[in-house]
Amino acid sequence: MKKSFFAVCFGLLLMVAMFSTVSAANVQVRISGWGGSDQPIIEEMLRLYVTPAMAKEGITVLYEPIADDFQRYIVNALSANTAPDLFYMDIFWAQSLIQAGQVEPLDNYIAKSKILKKEDFIPSLLDAFSYQGKVYGIPKDFNTLALFYNKDLFDLAGVAYPDENDTWDTLAKKLEAVSKLDGVYGLALQPEFARMGAFTYAAGFKTFDQNGKSNLFHPGFKAAFEWYTGLAKTRAGVMPADLGQSWGGGAFGTEEVAACIEGAWVIGHLKDQAPNLNYGTTFLPKDPSTGKRGNLIFCVAWGMNKDSKNKQAAFKVLEQLTSPEVQQWILERGLALPSRVALADNPYFKQNNREAQANYIVFRGASEGNVVPFSFGEYGGRWMDPINEALRAVMSGEMSVEEGLREAQYRLDQEMQR
Amino acid sequence: MRKQELSTIKLPSEEEIREFQLKQRRWRKVAMIYLVLLLVSILTIGPFFFGLLSSLKDNPLEWPPKLSVNQLKPANWIAAFRLSKAGCGKGFFGEFAPGAIIPFQVTYQVPAGKEPVTPQVVVPKRVPGTAGAALLIEHYAADYSRVSEVQEVKREILADGSVRVTYAFTIHHTGDVVCDRLPMDITVPLGQQFVSATLDPNRPNERLGRVQSWNNLTAGVIPYIFYNYHRVFSENYSRTTGKNLFSSWIKNSFVLCFARVLTNLLFASMAGFALARLKFRGKNTIFLLMLFSMMIPGQVTFISNYLVLRDGVFGLSKLFGVNTLLNSYSGLIVSGLVSASSVFIMKQFFEGLPESLEEAARIDGASSYQILFRIFFPLAKPALGALTILTFQGVWNEFFWPLVVLTSPQDRFTLTIGLLSFRRMYGVAFDWGPILAGSVISALPLVVLFVVFQRYFVEGISFTGVKG
Repeated sequence: MKKSFFAVCFGLLLMVAMFSTVSAANVQVRISGWGGSDQPIIEEMLRLYVTPAMAKEGITVLYEPIADDFQRYIVNALSANTAPDLFYMDIFWAQSLIQAGQVEPLDNYIAKSKILKKEDFIPSLLDAFSYQGKVYGIPKDFNTLALFYNKDLFDLAGVAYPDENDTWDTLAKKLEAVSKLDGVYGLALQPEFARMGAFTYAAGFKTFDQNGKSNLFHPGFKAAFEWYTGLAKTRAGVMPADLGQSWGGGAFGTEEVAACIEGAWVIGHLKDQAPNLNYGTTFLPKDPSTGKRGNLIFCVAWGMNKDSKNKQAAFKVLEQLTSPEVQQWILERGLALPSRVALADNPYFKQNNREAQANYIVFRGASEGNVVPFSFGEYGGRWMDPINEALRAVMSGEMSVEEGLREAQYRLDQEMQR
Repeated sequence: MRKQELSTIKLPSEEEIREFQLKQRRWRKVAMIYLVLLLVSILTIGPFFFGLLSSLKDNPLEWPPKLSVNQLKPANWIAAFRLSKAGCGKGFFGEFAPGAIIPFQVTYQVPAGKEPVTPQVVVPKRVPGTAGAALLIEHYAADYSRVSEVQEVKREILADGSVRVTYAFTIHHTGDVVCDRLPMDITVPLGQQFVSATLDPNRPNERLGRVQSWNNLTAGVIPYIFYNYHRVFSENYSRTTGKNLFSSWIKNSFVLCFARVLTNLLFASMAGFALARLKFRGKNTIFLLMLFSMMIPGQVTFISNYLVLRDGVFGLSKLFGVNTLLNSYSGLIVSGLVSASSVFIMKQFFEGLPESLEEAARIDGASSYQILFRIFFPLAKPALGALTILTFQGVWNEFFWPLVVLTSPQDRFTLTIGLLSFRRMYGVAFDWGPILAGSVISALPLVVLFVVFQRYFVEGISFTGVKG
């Protein structure tokens, strides 16, 4: 971008010749999210539902998918004052945007709205985007974790399928039994809090205690950590990296592991890479001592730009984006899991195919047991780093559980003191 | 006898021995240099070759990677041609059209003592996992096809007592709509081993070898071999404008490259000429400023450049009804009209031309413009050639700045940003084929450019170095 001064002058001259854009006359609402697989869905949804409805109101919707790191884009755009009127907020970093005062609270709008009511949305999702009693985002879709298992392998080994009554112990036994098969491991164990965390919450762990600190020596955390890493000691569990796979779904698709813990995103991968894989889905196992399940919620909401010039129009678009018809359509196409409570009884979920059933388990995951949003306040991903590191070290035998936890706690304390 | 023989052999003189050793040493050196060069070229071209090969495979992540690729076997080409011909009468680009009858054969092997079981053939209703492709499908072949009875046509007993059986069947199109693709699954009991088929399956070993599955029997030769490449073009179109995205991106990148090359050639030679040949006040200051601007890292000026573009070049373009230069090609072109380094190249070159040329022209009454465009320009071909190529390559690969300036709509992206959006689109489903294919396509123009114009590349590098 180095340019000499008179280049700019010439540029000006050139520009005069090049331009003929005229701005639109009616209200334009810009909405933005990440590109990729979300994008065709949003485009199609806008074409079918939102654009026709908004045309009556004299509102045009301009959709701007962002190809690169969306979080960075939205932070920059908000500070540069070029941000769209409505944008995605990932549960993972929404709080920092809200705390910075860049997101419009929606309570006043919701109070007047006929289409959008708080009680229509799954409470745990809406809570995740509430801050100091105000709602800042309307969840558009979400994911939780579920246990995916390969029916063929369990049949071959003569082991009962994992089911919703399983506890950690009974599941471990089943996994151990199925791993007796040649070339098959039990569970794909990603060394990540994004998977293991669900078990710590089942055991009663809280991310932050009353003093705002994280205690990794909490008995619940320790128990979950021990159980999860313990699986890696036998063939009952294996790190996908040890099989040359980058994630659990990859190892599951090639039938090297009998089960994996993933969200509904694994369905798309399996459709492409292993379309005939005979899999089933069930809830995560319960903690034997508390008798509860835990789960993580991965969720994305629409938020409104505090500096938007067309907030009323933007809210009208928001109503459409999360309307029952739109969510029904998204669900029926099997593309994502929408966030309205009423959808739980949807006929789509009752279909007799593995994908609809998997989606149902993931959908119900948001309201079973100790469900915690996948976010760590102001610390963001840095909160998980020491734990992920400890998981990897313990599973690969470099450290004992005790050492791993001590090291992680030490690094976490340092991080939180900063 | 012995003595005689010995006497006929002429012993080499000391000098000859020394010369021979010298030669030997020289050859050894040459061999070493060649070996090193070979290694370097393998290292550099290797990833590209590997990417190219992987982009053709059914499973690009295959580990350990194999060099035998189904898509590169002539037998499969012929089969794909015949199947597609049966599917719609065309062999190169196929579909599953009404009235089609697709013949197919498949061979299995069972160990000694076991009775072969007739395989089950199904045309599944298969939805691709990436949303773009999933939304595109209008008709499923599953709804319009009927599989004939599977018949045993050949049985062969091998030396170890195992049995090889070949089955044949046909798939009939029963409806009246054209389907894009005809997927197929064949299921056998566990232990019955797949040997071969009319066309090699895309996934030969699903469910521990029980299922062989094909993506599309009637794809045609080109989409069969270049499956991922075909997907790159066929699956990606903008739902708002209806344009094919990947072709738009290629076109955009080319347009941008040409515009930038043209402005760079023009302005760099004009500025270079002025700095090298004209005498005016502040010339040295301008040159110094220019050199200074080359030393500032791009990151320092990104934000100010962005703000300038956002407000339409200091707000001046608002006078002409342009609110912002973000999301526009004009913005990208304006911000890269000319680079200091190209001015530098041209200045150095013009300084090297003899002064008498210019003086002679002036005596004949030529103006500065005439001297530049009529006399210096034609002489500057090597420098201009080098500049063209360096600029083209630079703009083609430019990533960060277009990423910041162009955010929407998608069909305005350049190829580099388009590829990033690919990574998001297919990367989430760990579907690396189209990403690899897209990368290979994006690298091709530069590879061609390099092979054809490598001489200019070298010259360009020598120009940028210290000279005169």
